[in-house]
Amino acid sequence: MVTVGVPRALSYYRYFPLWKALLEGIGAEVVLSRRTAKGLLEHGVRHCVDDICVPVKLYYGHVLDLKDRVDRLFLSRVVSVEKADSETYTCPKLIGLPDMIKGSLEGLPPILEFVVDVQNRSLKSSVRKLARDLDAPAPLARKALARSLSVQSLYEEELLRGVYPEQAMEKVLANGGGGPMGPETGAFFDMNIALVGHEYLIHDPFISHDLPRKLARLGANTILMSQVPKDVLDQELARYPEISWSYEKELLGAASHFLRRPDIDGVMLVIGFACGPDSIVGEIISREVRRPDSPPLTTLVLDEHTGEAGVSTRVEAFVDLIRRARRHPRKVS
Amino acid sequence: MKVSFPHMGNAYIPLSALLSNLGAEVISPPRPTSRTISLGALHAPEFVCLPFKVNLGDNLRSLQMGADTLAMVSGTWACRFGYYGRVQHQILRDAGFEFDSIFLGRDGLMSVYNRFRDTTSGNLALAWVHAFRAFKHKAEAMDALEKAARRTRPFERERGASSSALAEGLAMVHGASALKDIDRARDGALELLGAIEVEHDREPPLQVAVLGEIYAVLEPSLNFDIERRLGEMGAMSHPVMSVYKWLFRPVKTDLSILVAERRARRAARPYIAYVLGGEEHQTIAGTIDAARKGYDGVLHLYPFTCMPENICRAILPRLEADYGIPVLNLCLDEHASPTGISTRLEAFMDLLKQRRKRR
Repeated sequence: MVTVGVPRALSYYRYFPLWKALLEGIGAEVVLSRRTAKGLLEHGVRHCVDDICVPVKLYYGHVLDLKDRVDRLFLSRVVSVEKADSETYTCPKLIGLPDMIKGSLEGLPPILEFVVDVQNRSLKSSVRKLARDLDAPAPLARKALARSLSVQSLYEEELLRGVYPEQAMEKVLANGGGGPMGPETGAFFDMNIALVGHEYLIHDPFISHDLPRKLARLGANTILMSQVPKDVLDQELARYPEISWSYEKELLGAASHFLRRPDIDGVMLVIGFACGPDSIVGEIISREVRRPDSPPLTTLVLDEHTGEAGVSTRVEAFVDLIRRARRHPRKVS
Repeated sequence: MKVSFPHMGNAYIPLSALLSNLGAEVISPPRPTSRTISLGALHAPEFVCLPFKVNLGDNLRSLQMGADTLAMVSGTWACRFGYYGRVQHQILRDAGFEFDSIFLGRDGLMSVYNRFRDTTSGNLALAWVHAFRAFKHKAEAMDALEKAARRTRPFERERGASSSALAEGLAMVHGASALKDIDRARDGALELLGAIEVEHDREPPLQVAVLGEIYAVLEPSLNFDIERRLGEMGAMSHPVMSVYKWLFRPVKTDLSILVAERRARRAARPYIAYVLGGEEHQTIAGTIDAARKGYDGVLHLYPFTCMPENICRAILPRLEADYGIPVLNLCLDEHASPTGISTRLEAFMDLLKQRRKRR
């Protein structure tokens, strides 16, 4: 059986169930890269442009981890993910990701490029191309697509319920995407903190220093932006001028939703250093979305140099401040 | 209306002509300096790209000079540039400034058109026609002068002569208002540049293509006047883009610009399959072109964290190998120093010279 390597980074967190079901449906064996670790990241950083964002450096590391142990390498090119009246994009780096990898790494196995561009191209045609590249018959591909779409929608339902991506994968794929990484349960929570940020940062425990669990240990219940339904996001987005980055739109909509919700005690905006869209959207959130009566908002910038202690200090300080503010409510003059 | 806009190379010359012909008073901030950049960086998000910080600094200075309207190009592309106006103007309002915004591209053309109804006394359409003609004449004059200076610089006997003649010539063009005067100023300035003493018996200059992110290529304050530096080191620079092309690409009156865009997209496709929203196609196609034309090297300029150009930066080593042309990548931000740039530029020039000798 052909082994196909899938990097455990970037769009993995959103689409892995779809890809896995699809690839297995057309007769390939899926190999995931190992979890992010120091060596893997360093390896990625060494082969990557210096001032690109951390998630891309991580992606390089994961590609290099797979390089010598698979027959084919699966690279996603996510161009557009929503059908809309106006043009929408993901981020230039996600659009150009396969170009970057092909242009800068040597000795890679043959590449399976999977294009997601719902504005200009049907998913079916991308799947047909994938099947052609793997010499699988077309009817098999059709069947695989139908099954993988249903797996993917199950996965998205799990996310909507607040299950963490890797746990949800475990659930819908049975044999799973790896060990479980879920919230600590049974602890005593006295506040709700919403995490707004890209899932490939928050849910990579190495780069986020296990942020969700850190919060849980401090007594904060985390609410994820994947728990905000699409129609609520759209409603929130209608308040602001248009943005064309689909993923950052979710950040903006979720932030707007959380900053207006009375049961949310604080919002943490988690962004990666050198992330282009986030540098703009982060500013829009703190200037256009936040209002005097909003719950506190803090920004946590992560990169490959971020130390565990730095993250802990800031998370603890944020949680402490929320508790202190509760004990000493601000006097309204 | 006291209107202002951020700098982009010499674009202020034709743009001022356009706006003043529409009856607006143009407030032109001083050319960006390190003070402008640090002023901008103080208020800007931490790791936004450098042009944002420079533009914001420009805006701050023009507001301090009394501007009441800020104009900016705006849109929703994959590149951050489209959101500059929106975020910058919000930052400035939060800082306590009051002003009106004109977003070219985001606001419809008609609303921009009607904006000048009160400032013009006669027929608005006629004023626009006249303003556009002045804009076009000045843009063409500016482009001709820049090209002439570029041609003489590597040969000038007295270092800096071309650049001072260029500055003088541009001032003449900037000062002229009637169409006839603009053309006369251009001719006079070209004569000035033509009168520069040159030594043609020198070694043929190194040919260097300059490309990358458009603002980094075109704004001398950002790239430490790279074109002048190259020229005075005895190299002929060939910028892939120009302020003229930047101004006229959206106007779509100059067919050759549109054809060149198309051609560049096609040439870049094997390396970058999709549109990324910046000048990535010009970077890739420009490098291939430079190799085909037999240039000695390529200078790739981009601001720190620039998204499209970082992707190019990852791909350029492959082009260097495929086409056998050396590329120097220069990443620019508010911490870049002229010495650092000079050192790398000199080393690159030496390398190109050695390489030429061996060929």
